[in-house]
Amino acid sequence: MTGRLLVAAAAAAIAVAPLVASTYHVLLMLPFMAYAVVLLGLNLLFGYAGLVSFGHALFIGIGAYTGAFLTSHCKIRSLEVILIAAAALGALVAAPVGALCVRYVKIYFGMLTLAFGMVFHTFVLKFYRLTGGDEGTPFLRPSLLGRSLEAMPKIDYLVGPYYYYSLAVLVLATLCMWRIVHSPFGLCLKTIRDNPAKAETLGIGVTRYRFHAFVISAVYAAVGGALLGPPIGNVDPTLAYWTHSGNIVFMTLLGGFTSFFGPVVGAFVFIYLQHWVMSVVPYWRLIFGAILAAIVIFAPGGLLGLLTPRRAAVRL
Amino acid sequence: MILVAEGLRKLYGEFCALDGVSLGVAAGEFVSIIGPNGAGKSTLINILTGLTPPSAGTVRFKEREIHGLGPVRLARLGMARSFQLVHIFPDLTVLETLQAAVVARLGRGTRLFASLARDRDVQREALEVAELFRLSDKLGALARHLPQGDKKLLDVASAFALRPEIILLDEPTSGVSTADKTAVMETLVGASRRIGLQAIIQVEHDMDIVFAYSDRIIALHQGKVLADGAPSSIQADQRVIDTVIGRRGRAR
Amino acid sequence: MSQHVVNVLLSGVFHASILFLVAAGLQVIFGVQKIFNLACGSFYALGAYVGVSAVGWYTAAGGPPALFIVPLALAGLAVGAVGLVVERGLLSFVYERDETFQLLLTFAVVLMMEDAIRLTWGTAPRSTAGLYLVYGQTHLLGATVPVYNLIVIAASLAIAVAIGWLLTRTTFGRIVRATADNREMAAALGVDLRRVYAKVFTLGTALGTLGGALVIPATAAMSEMGIELIVEAFAVVVIGGLGSMRGAFVGALVVGILRSIAISTYPELEMLLIYLIVITVLVLRPRGLFGGAAV
Repeated sequence: MTGRLLVAAAAAAIAVAPLVASTYHVLLMLPFMAYAVVLLGLNLLFGYAGLVSFGHALFIGIGAYTGAFLTSHCKIRSLEVILIAAAALGALVAAPVGALCVRYVKIYFGMLTLAFGMVFHTFVLKFYRLTGGDEGTPFLRPSLLGRSLEAMPKIDYLVGPYYYYSLAVLVLATLCMWRIVHSPFGLCLKTIRDNPAKAETLGIGVTRYRFHAFVISAVYAAVGGALLGPPIGNVDPTLAYWTHSGNIVFMTLLGGFTSFFGPVVGAFVFIYLQHWVMSVVPYWRLIFGAILAAIVIFAPGGLLGLLTPRRAAVRL
Repeated sequence: MILVAEGLRKLYGEFCALDGVSLGVAAGEFVSIIGPNGAGKSTLINILTGLTPPSAGTVRFKEREIHGLGPVRLARLGMARSFQLVHIFPDLTVLETLQAAVVARLGRGTRLFASLARDRDVQREALEVAELFRLSDKLGALARHLPQGDKKLLDVASAFALRPEIILLDEPTSGVSTADKTAVMETLVGASRRIGLQAIIQVEHDMDIVFAYSDRIIALHQGKVLADGAPSSIQADQRVIDTVIGRRGRAR
Repeated sequence: MSQHVVNVLLSGVFHASILFLVAAGLQVIFGVQKIFNLACGSFYALGAYVGVSAVGWYTAAGGPPALFIVPLALAGLAVGAVGLVVERGLLSFVYERDETFQLLLTFAVVLMMEDAIRLTWGTAPRSTAGLYLVYGQTHLLGATVPVYNLIVIAASLAIAVAIGWLLTRTTFGRIVRATADNREMAAALGVDLRRVYAKVFTLGTALGTLGGALVIPATAAMSEMGIELIVEAFAVVVIGGLGSMRGAFVGALVVGILRSIAISTYPELEMLLIYLIVITVLVLRPRGLFGGAAV
């Protein structure tokens, strides 16, 4: 019960933030919400299926570049179309990549996903005529629910309509993932995470379920990636670099991969902490590296794992 | 004959684990496989359940060759197994473990958006199996926290939850205290009648259990079948006594 | 052979020589400790920056330019001691854990070292400028090549031979190979695993830092060099096979030369080709050319 109350309180806080918090903090909520969507998907793969992908930035990149392309080159501004296109493209690429990668486990899975991620990165970096190279492609202001809000000043757009739109997407994504995780499918995923050999003897095809988890997580990453674009206004190849993949795994671990909302908490803490650290000293990586090391060594369950000890199973 | 194996051989490099093992299990039989350690019993089970391919020989389940099918397909065809070293899902509860088996059996694993908690069929069947195996009061316990004997029971129970036609148990009472062993076996036999199991094959070391419950006993020694017959004939077989049973009827 | 082709080949072999050192470090660590050290690129970068500083102090102190390679190499080797600190201070706590956590710990080291280097040396590229030309240039098979590059290639070859000798002819080498093969057995036979791990990790790190130091005269130390090199090193060990020294050697040659060819023909393809080969290898023959057990 307390868990649900906390979630409700957090949701309420996020909903009223634009009215009470400073613009600076509200603006930070935008990448937080985008990463929260990405991480909800990533944790399906990590926390529920037991696979660590070091190339998920690939799908973030796909989502972001889809939006940039549609707005810059195809004159399509509808965010609904962009999000659907991002999801579709994410799934399209995830199908062959996933089919290949899920046949391997642990370190080989990590290596394969890293390689695919870097293929995409090299592609968007080198084919500059198409993608703008390291300068990237602009992601122009999308229209929300059919209403073009070009006239609005950028900040008002971002902390107003765009904020609530992102929140709606996040809420939808959360509800969807909640259902997935608590479905028969979700249970089967957990069995293959815990003991693939035994799962097989129950008739649960390990590779098939991993594949589905991979594609779903890719769709989430692409949607989140598309949401990342508008506040910055530009998407560039660093979104697809392998260290970006490492960072999102870090966020998941930070919040706690054994709990449903852990990754969301991780995204929040990561983004706010990063900004706070950078305002004091530019060496956030040094501090964050130390934090990651501390988590791995002392608190592998992440922040939520510390707050609720002995909770090995994934549940809220 | 539900399960037939012919001329099974298994080589690990130079080491020959199985050397020409043939056996057949008919509907209604409770077969025990006995033998000293290293006789090849676990290897045999692994081959019969499709986990390991044999170096030579065939296995037929319900008239169908199992070569290349793998454990997943075999499970769907009606074969279930439990493991010698306890195999559980450490981070799932007892209820979840049983639910998983039922979900797999009912083919509902692809339901992404259905609520597991509200699936009445799954709940009902999972609770039924839990009751059969006296795990009803432990439904919420994490599998990793169960005592060893209960872990074993859970492993067997989840195999039973598949409502298989044949079940292969690798040392179902090992790690269970002597007092509980009979209880476990009674549960097993009772449960099998309830779910319409056609045949049980078990690997077992405890000779009291073996002689009390088996219709037929197969004695393995150094990768070969030493004897195959009713308990009475096995008990009288000198070779089996020398290698497996020993004087006082307990093998170790 | 045309001059152009020779240039491409020599440039590829030079790059391969450096790659080999880093990859060898990666391999020995993976082979023995089963840890994929993401930070090997960071150690390479560290060696590079330390090398620049060492050479800087050396020339400022008035040392003869012709011997600059001595402080360079020594500094590169010496800073490999950082590996011991990382191993004892961080890695040793996670040996019993899932390899995912070990991998993430090395990623933490990557993050920390990236900023540690920035903190110490700033973000502007550092180089030893034209110092390496003190050895002059020579003509080989029709092309002009700096003698320094040939020295590095020779040194790398010598180190390869030395590693081979170390692994096959010395007691330490036998212990290392036994531990790589079967650590439980090695421990049961009395091998002190913790000391072996410490030594192996330090050795692996030192190879990386040395590689970074040696490459400096020919290029420049830049802030991204660590995280960029790891992907190349990763390609080398996948192609060559995880844990294999021969694999590091052959893989380095393959990657080094292919990259050189790609740069001179289709620059866009540079790393793309390498990654596609990595994916192909991982799919068709996951254990690479000389890798151990099947995956």
